[in-house]
Amino acid sequence: MPKKDHYVIIGNGPAGNSAADAFRANDKDARVTIISDEAFSFFYRHKLPQFVAGNIGEDDLKVRPYSVYKEQNIRLRLGQCVDRIDPEEKILYLRHMEKVGYTKLVIATGGSPRILPSLTSFEKHLRFMTGYNNAIKLMPEIQKAKTITILGGDLISFELVKALRTMKKKIFFIFYSKCFWPVELTGNMSAKICANMKKKNIEAYADDTVETLTEKGNLYTLKTASGRTFKSDLVCCFLGLVPNIGYIIGSGIDTERGVLVNEFMQTNYKDIYACGDCAQIYDPKLKDYWISIGWSNAGLQGKIAAMNLLGSSKVVKPLPKSIRDVVGIKIQTSWWDHF
Amino acid sequence: MKEKDFYFNKEQGHARAIKIIKEVRFSEDSRDYGYMAENVPCQDGCPAITNIPGYIRCISEERFGRSYELNRMYNIFPGVLGRICSRPCEKRCRHGEADLGEPVNICHLKRSAADLKSSWHRIKENLYAPTGYKIAVVGAGPAGLASAHELATLGHKVTVFEAMEQPGGMLMHGIPEFRLPRDILDLEIKNILRLGVDLELGVEIGKRTSLKSLLKDYDAVITATGCMNAFSANLPGEDLDGVYSGLDFMMRVNNGERPKVGKEVAVIGGGFTAIDCSRMAIRLGASKVSVNLRRTEENMRIDEHEKNEAKFEKIRIYGLVRPVRITGKNGRVKSMTMERTRLIYTPEPPFRKAVPIENSEFTIPVDSVIIAIGQYPETGFIDTKIKLDGHRIWTSSDSYRTSVKKLYAAGDCVTGATDVINAVANGRQAAQEVDEFLIRRKRKKRIVRFEASAPSDRKRSDDFIPQVKLPVLDRNSRFKKITNEVELGYDHESAFKEAKRCYLCNLKFEIDVDRCIYCSACIDVAPRDCIKLIRDVEVKKDGSYGDYEETTNWRNVVAIAIDNKRCIRCGKCVEACPMDCISVTKVELIEQDLEA
Ligand SMILES: Cc1cc2nc3c(=O)[nH]c(=O)nc-3n(C[C@H](O)[C@H](O)[C@H](O)COP(=O)(O)OP(=O)(O)OC[C@H]3O[C@@H](n4cnc5c(N)ncnc54)[C@H](O)[C@@H]3O)c2cc1C
Ligand SMILES: Cc1cc2nc3c(=O)[nH]c(=O)nc-3n(C[C@H](O)[C@H](O)[C@H](O)COP(=O)(O)OP(=O)(O)OC[C@H]3O[C@@H](n4cnc5c(N)ncnc54)[C@H](O)[C@@H]3O)c2cc1C
Ligand code: SF4
Ligand code: SF4
Repeated sequence: MPKKDHYVIIGNGPAGNSAADAFRANDKDARVTIISDEAFSFFYRHKLPQFVAGNIGEDDLKVRPYSVYKEQNIRLRLGQCVDRIDPEEKILYLRHMEKVGYTKLVIATGGSPRILPSLTSFEKHLRFMTGYNNAIKLMPEIQKAKTITILGGDLISFELVKALRTMKKKIFFIFYSKCFWPVELTGNMSAKICANMKKKNIEAYADDTVETLTEKGNLYTLKTASGRTFKSDLVCCFLGLVPNIGYIIGSGIDTERGVLVNEFMQTNYKDIYACGDCAQIYDPKLKDYWISIGWSNAGLQGKIAAMNLLGSSKVVKPLPKSIRDVVGIKIQTSWWDHF
Repeated sequence: MKEKDFYFNKEQGHARAIKIIKEVRFSEDSRDYGYMAENVPCQDGCPAITNIPGYIRCISEERFGRSYELNRMYNIFPGVLGRICSRPCEKRCRHGEADLGEPVNICHLKRSAADLKSSWHRIKENLYAPTGYKIAVVGAGPAGLASAHELATLGHKVTVFEAMEQPGGMLMHGIPEFRLPRDILDLEIKNILRLGVDLELGVEIGKRTSLKSLLKDYDAVITATGCMNAFSANLPGEDLDGVYSGLDFMMRVNNGERPKVGKEVAVIGGGFTAIDCSRMAIRLGASKVSVNLRRTEENMRIDEHEKNEAKFEKIRIYGLVRPVRITGKNGRVKSMTMERTRLIYTPEPPFRKAVPIENSEFTIPVDSVIIAIGQYPETGFIDTKIKLDGHRIWTSSDSYRTSVKKLYAAGDCVTGATDVINAVANGRQAAQEVDEFLIRRKRKKRIVRFEASAPSDRKRSDDFIPQVKLPVLDRNSRFKKITNEVELGYDHESAFKEAKRCYLCNLKFEIDVDRCIYCSACIDVAPRDCIKLIRDVEVKKDGSYGDYEETTNWRNVVAIAIDNKRCIRCGKCVEACPMDCISVTKVELIEQDLEA
């Protein structure tokens, strides 16, 4: 009897889950496994700001209960980190020294925080919130802190500011219009953001770069190029997300900014596909590559990747653009969902 | 009991005596060379086969001078290479294996030995008796200087001919001062010349003096003329004002010129030269500098440190693009048109090729373009019939002999553009080959040395020390003066801390199976899968052991063995063994003096 296929999906976000569902729907017998380094079930990332603020609980985060995986016979390996992929041998190396073999692999490891090179030397003092693992660490710190500095910005940083206001924290908000994510802020957009924030009692400053960031007795002192000094109990950094591919580099799977895939989401290995925030997709019409960071596109791509791995040849396209209102300014994106 | 046989372990603060045992054995067995290559991966990764664990160990004992000398035995530029080496050793370092964190900062440690040794440090030279032979070296780059030094120690009279007015080759004329201060370079060059090496500057062989005349006047000649020609990208518009060749650009800046670059600069290429050009352009006043690669960042040949420093200086690296044409106005560059590429697999190295995507052109505004896509050797000065390998000088395999009698070649002129450590290693080996040709016997040989050792005094907690980052200048101070050195080097404390991270892979842990009672106490305390119950072992071509075939079935166990490829020398097994049957041997690949 031929051995059953083992479809392994790295990542338990919308991309990974929709890939798993598609595998199961189309192949009743295969083994389907999702591996994720977060010891928490599939959850809404956009709810994290409200979660760390203590406004919602863990159950409110969850997309679906564990019973769904049981019913669908999808194996969840949570809290297990993939350190390395050997695409020639078709083996994943997990951090706890276990090896997992696969017949077909979907890489859906999402994004990691974008850090400006100028901030790398202060990285150890910065807090991020990109997933459950860092959110759960951040939560008690946020609860304890009276004053918080936020280096922004991206759309997530605005959500956090909104959540923190309900907690009556003192907030300093420093953001970069040129590095604003996902779109550069032009014209008077930055000034408008500052003014609107001020109305809400938040000190906001545009385009003031960090010169030094030091810590003494849990108090962080941040000095900027223009000579301002901010003292706070916590410094959070939100500059958008970039594809999370660090553990793939050098494996033989081609990467540039993300995992390079063709319009069918296939990598340079025939049995390995990538989707969601971690993929850099070639568009034959555009003759260029694109990366989408956002919930619905990730789900869509996960499904297409799985279907194509099973033999279809669906071409992936980004969802149509939508307009989003961010603290009084309009930002147009084709990937970021408005929840 | 003789007192000298004992010393007290100060660190543990009590009078535990450890016996010093000195049993030394040497081997030329191919299995032992194979063992070294597998088990001391950093040393195997170093083209000069530097004794890395040896010199790191000296640093953790705060013997910086000894550490410098251990380096200098194989590489006469420790201070220089501690700053600019391409660090092939770190890519192989065991500490960088998937579950072990980040590699040891071997290169920074090399630099710390150079920086922190006493200013009255004694240079050690193993000088051989004068031979009366006269040897000419063409080119005073790292390959030429390394060969000159080796030849001089071997007792030959050496004259180095250098076309430029200063020695050092690309160390002086290519690499920018913000990465390599010239006083460090000058000092290490002077230490070579102190052996009585004559240096003739401003003498380009092939102009007033011919190679033929050198071959007539000297007993042997080594050419180490590097790669002095830059490849052209053959782009329309390459002759416009504001388009530079990367090599020419760096040489001009290093000679004191300040070429005009404007605000927006596009650099083409992804090697050392390209990154240096981009960082120099920022220092010359550009505000938007990009490095453009046909392939991707992952395929760049330079190390991560260099990339990160460039990014910190706000240089953007773009992958999967290819220049198509440069356009200008009134003779000066204005814009550059590029096209997108995609990667395809090639069965031969480098395994990935970038192919252009048709009709994917786009244009960017630029004030200058720097083309740094590689260099190749100039061979026009060779006035006798010689075999070439493409642009490069051909040498017979595993040798530095060219097709011309008495003429040897080393460094980039043979290998194509590589790096300094390869040039230094090649220069030294070429010198030893010339020596063998003249003296008619080998006077130095690589052998494996075994010495019984105490288990290391590393603590298990040392395994968890995070990589100690090298302090660097903040961004503003970097740009105040073009020559300000960016990397600041370790202080004593940081060097000591980083050195403690090294596992000392040159210690071989072995279980004496005859005494072992298979209690498996060692397996219980082992931090990783380093001790194995084995049923068989792979024997490699050279006779050395490869991977172990493990078993969990006691009936099939033929031995219990330490896999030194997995061992991180924590010493836990030695402590746990009730039978005291685990021995530790220091195994080193060293150069033996056959005249001694
Ligand atoms: C705080 C926050 C707010 C957001 N708000 C919005 C919003 O309002 N609108 C919107 O459209 N998008 C929003 N996003 C972005 C959106 O959540 C992502 O685009 C989406 O989740 C991407 O899905 P994905 O499946 O590609 O990856 P992710 O959902 O990021 O999932 C990646 C998975 O991979 C796992 N993983 C990563 N590395 C490894 C490894 N080495 N080994 C094992 N597992 C690994 C992770 O644990 C995770 O389970 C937000 C994101 C964050 C962090
Ligand atoms: C900008 C730049 C940055 C680099 N950065 C690094 C780095 O960070 N790390 C690294 O490891 N490598 C680096 N490299 C590469 C490295 O410098 C070279 O690989 C190395 O210098 C080669 O040594 P060599 O002795 O073979 O040749 P070279 O250093 O090129 O020296 C050749 C010498 O021969 C002389 N010469 C040539 N022809 C004649 C003649 N006919 N008569 C007399 N003399 C002659 C030349 O003037 C020159 O001095 C860099 C190279 C460049 C250009
Ligand atoms: S741990 Fe030390 S000896 Fe081992 S490979 Fe790394 S530098 Fe070399
Ligand atoms: S010293 Fe012993 S226990 Fe420690 S890593 Fe090596 S073999 Fe394993």
